[in-house]
This record gives sequence, C-alpha cells and structure tokens, in this order.
Amino acid sequence: MQALEKTQASDTADTRRLTGWSPKVLLRDAGIGLALLLLIVFFSVSTEHFLTPNNISNILTQITINLILAVGMTFVILIGGIDLSVGSMLAFCAVVGGTVLTIPDLSVFQAVALATLAAVGTGVVCGFLNGWISAFWGLPSFIVTLGMLNIARGAALQVTDARTIYSFPPSFNAFGSQMILGIPVVFLIALVLVAIAWFVLSKTVFGRLLYGIGNNEEAVRLAGHSLMFYKVAAFTIAGALVGIAAMVYMARLNIASPIIGIGFELNAIAAVIIGGTSLNGGRGTVIGTLLGACITGVLANGLILFGLSDFMRQMITGVVIILAVIIDKYRERLTGI
Amino acid sequence: MKLSRFASIVALTVATALPTIAMAADKPVVGLVMKSLANDFFKNMLEGAEAHAKKRGDYELKAIGMQNETDFESQLNGVENFITQGVDAIVIAPADSRAMVAPLKKAMDAGIVVVNFDVSLDEQAKKDAGVDLAFVGPDNRGGAKMVGDALAKDLGAGGKVVILEGNPGADNAAQRKLGFEDAVAAGKLDLLDSRTAHWETEEANAVFSTMLTAHPDIQGVLAANDSMAIGVVKALDAVGRNDIKVVGFDNVPAVAPMLKDGKLLATVDQFGSEMAANAIDKALAVVAGGPKLEGWVKTDIKLVTKDDVK
Repeated sequence: MQALEKTQASDTADTRRLTGWSPKVLLRDAGIGLALLLLIVFFSVSTEHFLTPNNISNILTQITINLILAVGMTFVILIGGIDLSVGSMLAFCAVVGGTVLTIPDLSVFQAVALATLAAVGTGVVCGFLNGWISAFWGLPSFIVTLGMLNIARGAALQVTDARTIYSFPPSFNAFGSQMILGIPVVFLIALVLVAIAWFVLSKTVFGRLLYGIGNNEEAVRLAGHSLMFYKVAAFTIAGALVGIAAMVYMARLNIASPIIGIGFELNAIAAVIIGGTSLNGGRGTVIGTLLGACITGVLANGLILFGLSDFMRQMITGVVIILAVIIDKYRERLTGI
Repeated sequence: MKLSRFASIVALTVATALPTIAMAADKPVVGLVMKSLANDFFKNMLEGAEAHAKKRGDYELKAIGMQNETDFESQLNGVENFITQGVDAIVIAPADSRAMVAPLKKAMDAGIVVVNFDVSLDEQAKKDAGVDLAFVGPDNRGGAKMVGDALAKDLGAGGKVVILEGNPGADNAAQRKLGFEDAVAAGKLDLLDSRTAHWETEEANAVFSTMLTAHPDIQGVLAANDSMAIGVVKALDAVGRNDIKVVGFDNVPAVAPMLKDGKLLATVDQFGSEMAANAIDKALAVVAGGPKLEGWVKTDIKLVTKDDVK
C-alpha cells in the first residue's frame, strides 16, 4: 500500500519535478552552463587562439563522438545502469559498417544507407543483449556490459582479422568534414540526437518512466509497468547511438579499425556525470550531458592551447570529474534535487 | 587490469591451440611471445612467423599474444607457461622493457634459449638482474631519424614542425621521439610542440587540430606511427591545408593511398612480417649448438615514399 502511494507520487509530482521542466532542474543545468562559461572565458582570456571560429568548430568536431555516446549513456545511467561496452561496440559497429561501405559495385547512396543500417543494427543487437541479459537474470549491468566489452571487441577483431578497413567512397569521406556556417555537420547530427533524446526523456510517458525506474524501480513495477521493456529499451537506444557514432567516426577519420574506441565509455560516463546526472539513476538531463561533453571538450582543447603538458592535462581532467560529483552532492543537499 | 585477464586466457588458449601440426617430439619447440595481435603490425609479424614455421618445417611454433599494448600480465603468464611446458626457445617482443626481465631470467636459468626482438630490454634492468641477452631488432631511433631527415630535406632549415608521440613510457615511443629530435637538430628545424596521442587516430586528429590552432604556421608533422599520421592527414583534409608535410612510421597498408597522392611524405618500414621469423632463425641456430648471440643484431629498416607505392 505504501509502495502504491509512492508510485502515484512518483508518477505525478516526483517525476515531473525531475524530468526537465521545473525551475530547480533548469537551475541545475544553468549551474553547469555557468561552469562551462567560466572555462570559456578563462581560456579566451589566457590563450590567443581559443575564441576563434576555427577553434570553436574544431572543438565541436572533437566532442561529437563523445556527445553521441554520452546521450546513449544518459538513458542507461538514468535507469541506474551503466554501459561499459560502448567503446568496444563502437569498434564492432564501425568494422561492420565499414565492411558494408567498401562493398564494390554499390552506389555511394546505397553503400552509405546499407552501412548505416548495418552499423546501427549491430549496435541495436548488442545493446538489446546488454539490456535483456541484465533484466532477465537480474544481473548488474556493470558485469553484463563488461562481458559485452570483451565480446564486441573480440567480434570486431574476428570479423576483420584485426585489419584496418579503409578506402571509403570519397564523397562519404568529404561529408565528415563538411561545415554549415562554420558548424561541423557531424556536430549538427549530434545536436539533433540531443534534441530527440531531450524530447523523449522529458515529454513522453516512456521517458518519465525511465526516470521513475531510476528513482524507485519497485514502485514502477507495482504500478504495472514492465521493467524488462524499459531496461531493454534504454540499453538498445544506447546501442543504436553507438552505431550512429560509428558512422560519424568513419566519416571523420575515413578508417574503421577493430582497435578504435578503447576507453571511450569512460569519456562518455565522465561527460554524463559532469553534466549532473546521478550515477544512482533517476536524476539528470540530456542538456546537462551536452554541457558536460562541452566541458570535457573545452578542457582538452583549451589546456593544449594553454601549453600545459599532456600529463598535467590528464590530471586536471580527473580533478574536474571528482569536483563535479562533489558539487553535485552539495547541490543535492541544498536544493533537494 | 584484472578485467582483461579472462579474455587474455581465452586468447592464450586459442593462440596456443592454433599451430598443432606435427607434435613430433624430436623437433625443437619455439615459444613466440608477441604484443597486441589487435595491431596490424604484430598480426603481420605472427603470420610471417607461421608461414616461416610451415616453410622450415623443422620446429614447432607456439605463439601467444596480448590484449592490448599495455597488457603486461598476459605476457608474463605466457612466459611462465612456456617455462612450465619446457620449450626449447622463447622468442619475445617484450611489452615492457623492464617488467619482462625477471621472467626471462627465470627462463634462461631453466636452460631455455631466449631471443629478444622488436623492443629492446632495458640495459640497466638487464645489468641489475645479471642477465646477458642480445637484442634482435630494428633501430627505432635510427628509423625515426631517417624519416625525420626526409621531412627536414623537404622543408629546409628553419621549417616549423610538431611531433605526435606514442604512449608515454613505451620504449619504442621514446626511441622514435629521440630519433625525431635528432632529425630536428640535424636539419635545424624549429620544433613548436610535442605531444602524445597514444598511438591513436582519433586522438591524433583532435590533438593535432588543436596544435594547428595554436600554431597555424606549422609546416611539418612527425607522427610516431601511421595510425596517428592518418588522423593528422584527415585533420589537414578537413581544413583544406595541403601545404603541411606529414611523415609517419610502420608503413601500414592504409597509408599506401596517402603516400600515392602525396598526403603523406614518407613512412618507415621495419619489415615486421619478417622480424619474428628472423628472430626464430637466430634462436634455432643457438638451440642447434651455434654461438650465443651478442649485443644488438640490427634488422632492416627502409624509408618508404611515393616512389615505393605501386
């Protein structure tokens, strides 16, 4: 009975409060935006080239893949899960897509369409397995996706025999560095994905239930919703996004290698956490993730322009991740969100 | 890295199960310890060794690899397994120039012929452990100097260059960086910046783009491997700069088209596919009672340019 009351609560006030429209949530994102702004101001003042159109489009290109992966990761973390397999899956999706892309006798359009289908399909299958296995057997997604990390990497190496795939259609290669008004097209694709994710998470019942699962799984179950469906869906969405990221990777760098993406999952998790999403689930927004990805990208770029050594750069990135979590702790205490 | 241990064991089992042709007891057994088989370079090397074993037919080859460039543990386990199995020779490309000294000493104490190839073990570590072991392999520093000289010749004195380094701490990364610096000094080039991109294409692309922002007047790039050179070439494509010369290292198949259209000025071939096979020949000669190897047995390196691509 108590649980049922809690269910109703989480279906109404709680969920709405947490999904992106309450003033407090806006305030959270604004706080992260402010941190990003401060960084931008700092680097603009301290380095000569930071605030130039070329450098801005560089940063946008550089964060694109991490942003796409992080959007998927946001879905998974919101339900209280984690996906450690995205880096390996990126390699697997890329080599499958890359193999299709280099099939002779296809028109560029056919090749790209089929390759996208193959890459996203591969991601969807891997993501589905991640979600289904953890939900069906009630296993921690940490362990299941750790398994997938090895499976997908092994599969990528197996299908390519550890060789790099190259020689993609020239127009596909050119697409990867296309700009519209100085903004990289690949980044615009990522932005569209952010917008769709934002809509799904904050405007649909489906999205609200994902928050609900992260907050109180039992309550969502008692309210008669299939936990299995939502969990599988979150991981599958993450997988599909990995497939898209793989296409972007190939367009940008014109190769598909089975050893790409090592450690990318950690960068994606970092962007999500810096963006204010709670690792416990149920709390956070995809706008926060966008800002988090921007913060890591601005740091990586700005610290090089600032002339800091590679090792110092790595240390500072680590400090920022920990700072973000500490700030989040205080924010939770102060605002109750 | 406990995480990768399971996978390494799987990889190890599969790899040792592969060459099961003719287990005749009188043939000497050679244990080949490779680095990451997920890397074209070592993959080619292994295939070269397997073809060599089939061609010679007078020894049995057992090969193991590792998960990634920093997976020391599976190499360590592999060497220990070979000692237990009582192989006649261990031919190893060490993942770490210091960490592998102790297990190899153990192997030598057990009467196994050990040949070190690809990456040289650390001199000081060898001395400390009381190990006297020859090295069969290419001169990474010399190769980097060679390709750096080619860039210097193209740019002329005063050319402004940047270096993309391999993994900090890796011996071949350090040697190649030294070789690049030798070339910079000899060609009187102006070194603007030197940073690591961890051997990776994507990271090289991002790091180089940012370097180019900081130094728009860059004229040449020295990348410590071809994967990073590919990332640099792509970054130059993206901004439409065809005035900047790039050199790489390794001569992987993917750079052939880039050499051809002049996007890559030069790279270095270390003949990886022959390297393991050469080292095995040397080991078998010692097993057969030949003289002990001494010092540094240098293997071939070659500068590869447009002219070498068909």
